[in-house]
Amino acid sequence: MEARSGERVASRALGSLRESWNDLVRLFAHVPFGVSLLAAWAFLTLIGVIIEQGKDPSFYAGAYPPPIARLIVRLDVDNIYHSAAYIGVLGLILCSMAAATFTKVIPRRIPRLNPVKIDAIPLHARVRVTGDAESVRERIAAFFAARGWQVRKREFGGTEWTFADKNNWARRGVLVAHIGFVIIATGTTIYWAKGYSGQFAVLSGETATIPENGAKISLERFAYRIDPIQTKAGTVFQPIDYVSNAKVTGKDGIARDAVIRVNHPYDVDGTLVYQATYGFAIDFRLTKDGRPVAGPDHPLKEGEGFVIDGTSRAIQYQRFVGTIDRATGQPAADPRPNDPGVVVQAFDGDRPAGSAMLALGQPADLGAGYALTASRYVLYSGFQYRYDPGMVVVGIGAFVLLAGLCISFYFLPARLFVTARDAGDGATEVGIAATTVRGYDVFEERFREIVDDLRRTEPAAPATEAGATPVVVGRV
Amino acid sequence: MDPLRVHIDQALLVVGIAAYVTAAFVLFAHFLLRNPALRAIGLPLAAIGCVSQFAELGSRWWMTGVWPLTNLYGSLSLFSACAVAIFLIFAVRYDLAFVGGPVLALAAIALGYATTWNEGYMPAVPALQSYWIKIHVPIVITAYASFMVAFCVSLIYLVKAAAENRYARRGRSLRGVAAGAGGANVDLSVGTYAQSAQGGIVRNDTPALTSAAAAGDATASWLAGLPSLAKLDIMQYRIIAVGLPLLSLGIITGAMWAKEAWGAYWQWDPKETAALFSWIIYAGYMHLHTRPQLRGTFTAWVSVLGFVSIVFCYLGVN
Ligand code: HEM
Repeated sequence: MEARSGERVASRALGSLRESWNDLVRLFAHVPFGVSLLAAWAFLTLIGVIIEQGKDPSFYAGAYPPPIARLIVRLDVDNIYHSAAYIGVLGLILCSMAAATFTKVIPRRIPRLNPVKIDAIPLHARVRVTGDAESVRERIAAFFAARGWQVRKREFGGTEWTFADKNNWARRGVLVAHIGFVIIATGTTIYWAKGYSGQFAVLSGETATIPENGAKISLERFAYRIDPIQTKAGTVFQPIDYVSNAKVTGKDGIARDAVIRVNHPYDVDGTLVYQATYGFAIDFRLTKDGRPVAGPDHPLKEGEGFVIDGTSRAIQYQRFVGTIDRATGQPAADPRPNDPGVVVQAFDGDRPAGSAMLALGQPADLGAGYALTASRYVLYSGFQYRYDPGMVVVGIGAFVLLAGLCISFYFLPARLFVTARDAGDGATEVGIAATTVRGYDVFEERFREIVDDLRRTEPAAPATEAGATPVVVGRV
Repeated sequence: MDPLRVHIDQALLVVGIAAYVTAAFVLFAHFLLRNPALRAIGLPLAAIGCVSQFAELGSRWWMTGVWPLTNLYGSLSLFSACAVAIFLIFAVRYDLAFVGGPVLALAAIALGYATTWNEGYMPAVPALQSYWIKIHVPIVITAYASFMVAFCVSLIYLVKAAAENRYARRGRSLRGVAAGAGGANVDLSVGTYAQSAQGGIVRNDTPALTSAAAAGDATASWLAGLPSLAKLDIMQYRIIAVGLPLLSLGIITGAMWAKEAWGAYWQWDPKETAALFSWIIYAGYMHLHTRPQLRGTFTAWVSVLGFVSIVFCYLGVN
């Protein structure tokens, strides 16, 4: 007795669970719900375009009012594309798409051959033609087959129906597009799970190692070409080429010559290394009362700095100036190192304490007996690297998605439902109705052409009552 | 630079702008007056402008030896030429000449604005020295151009829908006064079919509009002469159906190029992300369009929003 009531409770609980599940699936399959998720995705994407990504909290503190800056950092808006909200919305879109695909797209797009009420379908027509029903049916089938329609016949309750389909295969276009999207999502997940990427800079004559796969890149020489171009607005110095000559050592331990330039990545053991940037590293010499003291132990790249030992002062190398205009003492437009200098910024603790431009090789007085000289520059090359095992999958997904879009948009599946009924006096009344996967409006003109064509081809039976032959189309 | 080539380039540019401006006026007049002669003048003028613009881009390539789509001048030029070309194809295929006014006006504005970015000869920076620029840029620009044409159709849809709504409301209140109750109950997203005297079918959006036109209301008969809302909606859909696959292909080729140039096919850089934003909006449009209840005014607004996002992506993000 108790066992049975327990079973009943369990089955009721199961029933209500199934009910809730069905409600959830219905909600997710609802197109407006899916579109709301797309809107949320669009909104988050737009935020990432408007608010600069991946910056330091201090950047947002400087660029926005304090409450907004705090919100940006706290809500992960500074790294929105990897935030839980962004990934969550994409996950929900995938769920919604799956629910819609299984509960709506597949049943609706691949419908069984069933009879319909001809007059209840907005695109319908009745045409009276001569001949008995059987021969008319054959002629109608031949008429549609000759025009590229796939013709199938079925009998329902003693009535024979002819179904003519155009682009029936294209009913799967939505399915293909949705699958493409899932494949792209799979590819990006593979990258998140197994891929890596990063960047590094190597000074000419030095070697860097990619930490994830141990590949070594020794930069032998970096070269660039910048040309002065005369434009309407004056002379513009246009970068033409950047190229790194390097020796790359992969897993096999063999050092190979590599020429790495923009748009021509180098593949080392499946990790692609790209020429990304370049710059001028500077050897700074520090003296006190004319005698060398400890300064930076390696050439500094733009943005790097050092603290002067035993003081609260720090020097930051801000940017390289290719050509100093000797007349004005200001940077000239030519970025090539003709008469180079550097801009440095001094700090006292955290406080900026003034900046200056130093010509290369000329000492600048820092006060308290200290002098700083930018003694020489060394070109360095900036590389990015990436290992992405999901890339091929993403590529396949993108093309599947594109194929799905093209199938869905350019091949309209349409189905004609045709019956032929004996109308007496040697005449047969042909009833035709049309449905498409995209409503009736889109097929209206084509339907009119088909019916007109049919009326031209088939010998019209004399009308027994007014208005029996013209195309009659109801309300959508 | 060879002065002859420079003169040819200048002459083609002037012909292009002049043809667009004139065609814009003529086709606007056609939109207002429905005079077939204006259509017959406006379309060839638009075609002349379009051909001379493509020729100008070609001559620029010939003159400088540099692919002309590496700067905003070249890309905006192509944008206006493609918009006019797409408009002409649809005008001939689907009798779309009545949207020529806004399309040509926008094309002329784009071309005029483009000339302010004309720096003359300028070689491409290393990142743009790739064969991908010859594949990716024209695809994306053609997508943008088709969204522009769709946007113009959407504007006409919205204007017509708003005017019809007014007629429907007016009809309802008149009938309400006469009958003391009830109303016209017009659903703009559906429309009705009627039989013409010749036995074919004609499409009416609202009975109120037809009645007002029959009663001699000039605005109503002008509106009734425009394609039905359902037809405008389908045209807008068809043009977006050209743009969305192109935008998808543009994003894909952009990703392939980015992979070669910057190391990753997707870096979330503002330009590609803004393109994704537009793509999502148009994907939303396509889904909304599968629902008969949402087809119409709502989807026309989404198309407008989509084009705003395209302008933002194209000119606002760099
Ligand atoms: C947000 C979740 C999504 C849901 C709930 C959803 C659902 C649907 C549904 C119900 C249809 C209409 C099927 C029919 O009328 O028979 C459809 C059509 C379509 N879907 Fe989705 N989908 C989603 C996301 C996507 C995504 C991300 C893509 C990628 C491009 C996509 C591509 C398409 C295409 C191309 C069509 C055909 C549209 C047309 O024929 O005009 N869908 N979708």
